[in-house]
Amino acid sequence: MSETITLLAMFKDFEPASEGIEKLQEMGLTDDDMNVISGIPIKNTILGRPPAITYVSRIGFMGALMGVALGIFLIYGIPYLYPLLVGGQAIFPVPQGLIITFEMTMLGLMGFSFIGMFVDSGFPSYTPKEYTPEISDGKVALLFSCPTGEQEKFVDALKNSGAESVAPVEARQL
Amino acid sequence: MTTNIELPVFTNNSEVELQGKWGMVVDQDLCTGCQACVAACSMENNVPFVGEEDAGYGRAMHWIRIERLWDNTTFPGVKMTSYQPTMCQQCHNAPCEPVCPVYASVHSQSEDLNLQVYNRCVGTRYCGNNCPYQVRAFNWRDYTDARTRPYLTVLQNQLNPDVTVRRRSVMEKCTFCIQRIHGAEDKAKSEGREIRDGEFTSACAQACPANAITFGRLDDPQSAVNKAAAASPSRSRHLLDELQTMPRVTYLTGGV
Amino acid sequence: MASYAKPLARRKPHAQEHEDPRELLMHDPLPRGQMNAMVMESMHETTPIFWVVAAILAVIVVYTLGYDWYVVIMQGQGVTGELRPDYWGVFLVNTVFWIGISHAGTFISAILRVLKIESRRPFTRAAELMTTFGLVQAGLSIFMHLGRVWLVYWMFPIPNERTIWPDFHSPLMWDLMAITTYLLCSTMYLFLPLIPDLAMSRDRTESGWLKPFYKILALGFRGTEGEWKNLTTAMNIFAFAIIPVMFSVHTIVSWDFAMATRPGWSSTVFGPYFVIGALHSGMAAVAIVLFLLRSTMKHYKYFLRPEAFNTIGMLMLLVSMAWAYFYFNDYIVPWYGGNKWDKILQEYTEKGPLGYLWFTMLFVNIVVPWATLWNKKWRETPWLLAIVGFLINIGMYLERYIIIPVGVTINRMPFTWRQYYPRIEIPLTIGTFSLFLLLYMLASRVIPLIPVWEVQEGQEAHMIRKMGKAEVSTLSDME
Repeated sequence: MSETITLLAMFKDFEPASEGIEKLQEMGLTDDDMNVISGIPIKNTILGRPPAITYVSRIGFMGALMGVALGIFLIYGIPYLYPLLVGGQAIFPVPQGLIITFEMTMLGLMGFSFIGMFVDSGFPSYTPKEYTPEISDGKVALLFSCPTGEQEKFVDALKNSGAESVAPVEARQL
Repeated sequence: MTTNIELPVFTNNSEVELQGKWGMVVDQDLCTGCQACVAACSMENNVPFVGEEDAGYGRAMHWIRIERLWDNTTFPGVKMTSYQPTMCQQCHNAPCEPVCPVYASVHSQSEDLNLQVYNRCVGTRYCGNNCPYQVRAFNWRDYTDARTRPYLTVLQNQLNPDVTVRRRSVMEKCTFCIQRIHGAEDKAKSEGREIRDGEFTSACAQACPANAITFGRLDDPQSAVNKAAAASPSRSRHLLDELQTMPRVTYLTGGV
Repeated sequence: MASYAKPLARRKPHAQEHEDPRELLMHDPLPRGQMNAMVMESMHETTPIFWVVAAILAVIVVYTLGYDWYVVIMQGQGVTGELRPDYWGVFLVNTVFWIGISHAGTFISAILRVLKIESRRPFTRAAELMTTFGLVQAGLSIFMHLGRVWLVYWMFPIPNERTIWPDFHSPLMWDLMAITTYLLCSTMYLFLPLIPDLAMSRDRTESGWLKPFYKILALGFRGTEGEWKNLTTAMNIFAFAIIPVMFSVHTIVSWDFAMATRPGWSSTVFGPYFVIGALHSGMAAVAIVLFLLRSTMKHYKYFLRPEAFNTIGMLMLLVSMAWAYFYFNDYIVPWYGGNKWDKILQEYTEKGPLGYLWFTMLFVNIVVPWATLWNKKWRETPWLLAIVGFLINIGMYLERYIIIPVGVTINRMPFTWRQYYPRIEIPLTIGTFSLFLLLYMLASRVIPLIPVWEVQEGQEAHMIRKMGKAEVSTLSDME
């Protein structure tokens, strides 16, 4: 395979960015070769990109199930291990079971969604990455890799669709 | 009011005998209000002296108190009700038990008493709040620390060695003199027999000059307690009966 | 014929109520870079007055929470004003009050997000920060209340060698589980939308100790599609899931009282009553905090516009009506009779020695918002809303004071009735308020309080279009 070079194209807004993406797709780049970096979340259909896959909800659901298990252990496992009679109430209480199971389920759901976000995005990651600070100032960046020899035509095509700048980019410390 | 109406029991522990083992009968018509029971209980159970200022503020820690209430306070018809010695009622469905977050207030199934575990108490004071009879006392300060209260160095000789001395931030209450119960049970077990009725009694019952307090086994139909309760059924009642706490103490009141 | 009465003609015409949509934040976009610079500047430019105030608060915190609390721990709970039968006092009032304050943050950042109320965008983080710091104060207050606080770990359900676990029959254990869940989840929910703003701060901070701080906390966030998708998915899960947790937390706190057998406490309406009470005091506190932010932080007049205060004012009015509904429910049932002790407690509350507290509570909780919050112009005036909010918070503090210390005076054994007066609880209460303000002030120096990316996201979605003769605001669904 020929070498590829990574280029970063900066657009002022998502309109010219979507045109640029379309141009690149016409020129033969697959969706996997491209990545959009932006300062606000932009819906994939606006840019003409495939939907991003996320595992966060699945991890969260797993966490909810673990929370249910924890709740049931706390409210029924503990009196099973160490039964103590209090106040004439049932040793295995139902209303308290609902309350504690609910709380632990929610804690599991949200805690694991949080962790799932970290895991799925690879956070925390302090290795050098392709990035420019202008992205957090609202610009939309298009990060793509193309064969080394052909970078001229890609650059021209993007400049014609409104890119402010197209340049090779190296991974740098954020 | 008589309890000859069979109220349905809505608790889950119907397999435990509702009679239980230890109970009391307090005859309010015999009580003279002399407070001998209060003094005896405090001596027997190492109830601390809180001092003048705290007692005046309302922090006296007596496990039993004599309540004086008036029916009519306008002269010339001033009329007092009979004295009401109030101690822990050792409720079967004690409201103080399920609210403790650390199991410091639990129910003993063998003696059917409400146990306060001093070394487990964290001091949330929910049990004190939830007791409808307000019989629980809290150690607001280190009342038993001889380093801050020099008079205690001498008074330490009067402490009962059978009973724990509590430090600050621990809840305590009447235990039906459980140290005496266990002492008698140990003696009876070593002799291979059951406890005889009248073999021992609680400090308050022992001290009462009018024999207003009777203590004994509720599961023995021939015991003095059951006989006292059965002798005048028209006078017997429970305190705050409507709460269905099922106390172990029966009060006899309303005239002979 | 000419003497037709024309009463309508004598009234002044209504002022032009349809305000220019261009005054709204969502229609007044600035370049993102400029908004970033404004937020960064207001964060890092500090006047000397700020440090003077912070120093005073720090001294108060050290003296009250450091020394006074030490006295409480070493000498016992006797230095408070509690006694038999008033075992619960101002510490519990503080706990309930601070948990109440903390609910407003979740309400704004979760419920308003789910309902897509766009005017919430600039102040979600400022409100959510109140949640976290409010829960810290609530935790401190309940620890102050515990007698043997050094043994509080006995309440945690962790494996131990004592072969005994805590008792989940107790409402205090439900409290522990619920408040822990709520604290962890709202801190996570504060952190999630903060990540892109931390990335922005990391990009705009060149040197100093803050640079590694932002770098570490921003986790290497860039803004790629995958990262945004994961972040927004997690945020949506949190927004939906934290709403039932929020309702359950204050309901469980109310069950500390409702499960008790005391007259006046054993009321079935306590669950929703406390939740609405929490929202009442919380929204009022948000109004105060936003007013303070707008007056003291540079450039915040751009972000926190009158329309934000209008939203909060409308919510305050709505919640005060709901609170009045629940309070009336809780009032009329004992008033109607049937339960002797509830009625005695009610009469003691109204006509007893602390009856003026009850009257003040009703006045500031109901009359003050109902008299002032109808007027849109008044709602949009930040200082007026802050004053109304302050009065409402006083009223809600009195409401909890009436439920707890005044409520425990009356029980079913009249021989034991005694009134409670706070002693060392007063400086400790002041300490928790000072710590709240101090933490908030310090946080405002370190993290950006305006979620700039959310503001820009909202501004991208809004536009003005011409409908007929008018120019109306339009919102596109870009999610």
